[in-house]
Amino acid sequence: MEGRQKWAMTVDVDRCIGCQACVIACQSENNIPISDEPLFNQRRAMEWIRIERYWEGEFPDVKARFIPIFCQHCDDAPCEPVCPVYATYHNSEGLNVQVYNRCIGSRLCVNNCPYQVRYFNFWEPEWPESLQNQLNPDVTVRSRGIMEKCTFCIQRIRRTGREAKRDGRKVEDGDRGLNPACVNACPTDTLVFGDVMDPDSRVSKLKEKEMSEDGRGYHLLGSLGTGPNVIYLKKVDEHASGPTHA
Amino acid sequence: MGVLGGSAAGAVLFQACGVPEEELLVEAPLQMPEDLVSGVDNWYATVCRQCPTGEGVVVRVIEGRAKKVEGNVDYPVNMGKHSARCEAGLQSLYDPDRISAPLLRTGERGAGQWEEVSWTDAITRLAHQLSETADPEQVVMVTEPLSAHLGMVAERFASKYGARHVPYEPLERTTLRASIEQVFGQERMPDFDIENASYLLSFGADFLNTWVSPVRYARGFGQLRQGGMERGTFVQVDSRLSMSAANADEWIHVNPGREGLLALSIAQVIVSDPALRRLADEAGIRALTDGDDSRLGAFAPDLVAGAISGAVSAERMAETIRRTASDFVHHQPSLAIGGGPAGAHTNGLFTLNAVYSLNRIVGNVGKPGGVIPNPPPPLEGVPSRPAVASFEDWRNLAGDMRGGRVRALLVRGADPMYGLPEALGFRAASYDVPFIFSFSSRMDDTTAMADLVLPSHAPLEDWGSDVPDPGPGHQVVGYQQPVVRPFFEQRGVHLGTKGFGDILLSLAHLLELDLEIPGATFMDVVKEGSRQLMGRGSAPFSTYSSFPAFWNGLLRHGGWWDTGAKHDGPIPPPPPLPAEAEIPQFSGPEGEGTFYLAPFASASLTDGRGAHLPWLQATPDPLSTATWRTWAEINLKKAREMDIEEGDVVRLETAHGSIEALAYPHPGISPEVVAVPIGQGHRAGGRYAEGRGANVLSVLSPSLTDAAGSLAWAANRVKVTKTGRWERLPKMENSKPDLAVDEHRLIIPLAQRDR
Repeated sequence: MEGRQKWAMTVDVDRCIGCQACVIACQSENNIPISDEPLFNQRRAMEWIRIERYWEGEFPDVKARFIPIFCQHCDDAPCEPVCPVYATYHNSEGLNVQVYNRCIGSRLCVNNCPYQVRYFNFWEPEWPESLQNQLNPDVTVRSRGIMEKCTFCIQRIRRTGREAKRDGRKVEDGDRGLNPACVNACPTDTLVFGDVMDPDSRVSKLKEKEMSEDGRGYHLLGSLGTGPNVIYLKKVDEHASGPTHA
Repeated sequence: MGVLGGSAAGAVLFQACGVPEEELLVEAPLQMPEDLVSGVDNWYATVCRQCPTGEGVVVRVIEGRAKKVEGNVDYPVNMGKHSARCEAGLQSLYDPDRISAPLLRTGERGAGQWEEVSWTDAITRLAHQLSETADPEQVVMVTEPLSAHLGMVAERFASKYGARHVPYEPLERTTLRASIEQVFGQERMPDFDIENASYLLSFGADFLNTWVSPVRYARGFGQLRQGGMERGTFVQVDSRLSMSAANADEWIHVNPGREGLLALSIAQVIVSDPALRRLADEAGIRALTDGDDSRLGAFAPDLVAGAISGAVSAERMAETIRRTASDFVHHQPSLAIGGGPAGAHTNGLFTLNAVYSLNRIVGNVGKPGGVIPNPPPPLEGVPSRPAVASFEDWRNLAGDMRGGRVRALLVRGADPMYGLPEALGFRAASYDVPFIFSFSSRMDDTTAMADLVLPSHAPLEDWGSDVPDPGPGHQVVGYQQPVVRPFFEQRGVHLGTKGFGDILLSLAHLLELDLEIPGATFMDVVKEGSRQLMGRGSAPFSTYSSFPAFWNGLLRHGGWWDTGAKHDGPIPPPPPLPAEAEIPQFSGPEGEGTFYLAPFASASLTDGRGAHLPWLQATPDPLSTATWRTWAEINLKKAREMDIEEGDVVRLETAHGSIEALAYPHPGISPEVVAVPIGQGHRAGGRYAEGRGANVLSVLSPSLTDAAGSLAWAANRVKVTKTGRWERLPKMENSKPDLAVDEHRLIIPLAQRDR
């Protein structure tokens, strides 16, 4: 493989409408167990990407704001050093990777993750027999006692890379096969995925533009210094306070 | 079948035999499926049938099983985007409670006792009943609105046999269509060019969520926000903080049914202020005022502001109206859309006509960022738009059923026993119908009452075509192909499922009806019907030299389109605006503890058709984040006054019955409104839907809007009382305690607007 890749995503909060298309796309692609009613009531529902909704103000001067939250694939990920068995580690492409068959379920990582994006299988996942036909054969079904989380759809990255090599071409920026499932689903183009080592990729250009002085880019809970590979772009609002950005 | 983006199968197989070099990249000496080549996947293009919009999708198929649904990048309606509902098409294919063979009722009607029979037996029984019927008018076909070739086959069958065809559209758009017809002279729904608009004003239409063509509109909305040089503005006028309202730069709260009054007031400001009028379209204004500038005098902001919103002061509302009117003409291209609850009051047509007339004031019809009329479909012989029955037709049908004037009901893709208000008595009247035949693939509420079930294929197993309504402003035909072999094929030729088109064709054959359609199977009908498109359309469709190649191309691309074939012809001038307001009427209790009832289509279950799919049940509602249950949104302060907390089981009593729901108090709803999602409360529907939550549609009063006898489903009032019970509301909110509040905007910081 020529050169190194480093995967990153941008999330334009100003575009996000909270429609949940990404959530279900992720569940479909990654064999996420069905979150039935008891799981929600136990606060154990699994959504590798979830939409958080925040209220601001009260009727009639009220706002509801949406933001998608998922693994930030931090360069200095707080979840990694605490894993006693190296089940969670950083790979050469900047991904925070979870090795399921190393995981012993200590749950130290979820305890240390400030973004609360790691999900633990408290129960053995179950699907009725006919629904098992929809399971993606490229993705492991995790069993009880295993931690799981967003992988940036590593199976798609692998498959696309392999097919590109087979066909003697480079992986193209914005390839639908490379994009994580949530990115393809998002109807408003809130999510952009790509290789930040490639200066011509959309994500690199967005990073350069929006992380500059008058850009809208920020890191989620940036003060924690986790070095996320996900860049959020600020919501635009005429009622904004603080420093003005275009 | 056409393969989209065909891959070199040989090369994949070759590589699958060895260990790919990239394995060295993996730092763990552990192999997971993610690191292995696991077989050849193909993506087939088809049309999503999970909701009436009909998005173009591609489906990933591995070893004969469908694995993933994504948007079809080529398809002009949704351009690669899709919704959670499209994605769940997989689960309707592999639904564990799907009906896998024809079923004959053995117990009492509705008791759920069935015996499997063979297809030959089932079709013979059906044909026998139809040929025995002396008066074919006593046979009624109830379907979803059917477009293109299936619509043609159903229409022909009904007319040749002599049956009545009553297409069922839950949350009908009859009022909306009537308004489009009156204001723009268009028979078909136009496209709304949200992408290129600078200012979008929506009245009640939850267009980002469930309204008309939500994926297309959401895509346009993303572009409106950050796709151009300048960020577009979006203002929502609504009686409830809907998902669309939550995404607006400004939500203007109005009392239910007063949206039209607000629109007329905006029109009055523009017409009477020369500085604004100069920027507007004079011809449009003249038509709308009938040449009389004082016509709208009664709608001056100061006169009507008090009636529009009781929740904010009249002065503030009048100021808002003036500002909105000024913005609407200053930030052109501007666009006004309306629908949903705004069109579902007793003055719905008055409201929508006022809303859509705003477009004529700025003269945006046919212009970028405006209302783009759609051309008629390119196919000859197919209905130009799906036929739809109004609520009045249903009332008549229920009456006929009660009077013994209906001998058989043939139901497909429609669930009127769930969706029609109980006050109509449709369900009770069905006991007076000797035979009910259902062609549903799942045990919905109507099918549970059937005598014989002839189960249809799931959409991903069936052929079909679609003329999207609304289209994208040019001619499009979607082609639906089976992406997998029928799942119940292994049950043998006598059992399993069949396509509805094929069932009708074999029925016509048995009854010796000549439908005058070429083709022995429904696939032939679709295929032969596409011949007339050959040599036409955009590239590559115009370039194929042989029909097999052309047909293959249609399936590869999931459709046919001609970006040059747009609407042409004049747009008639709009009718004059009314000089007097129509006051909305409400039925139901008044006084202490009563509210306006705002039913809304659930984001994932829509009108209830998604309730049997676990993904959609588990999809959090955008605003409440609630799942799996029916909840009632109530104002936080009001709830405190009434001592109601989240999870309290409350009884909601209308003039026609009562339902129970879990209270969800939040700060975003008016203290005068209680909102309840539509979609739950099924009597049947399999393990995920049955007996879950409550059906708010069932307790609505059967009052009508002022157009074409459409149901005024937003015109109800409701009394809310505590039952004393409490149940946990399953929701996503607060399941992650650390991120539950964002008081200091650490999570969603804001950037200021640049204008």
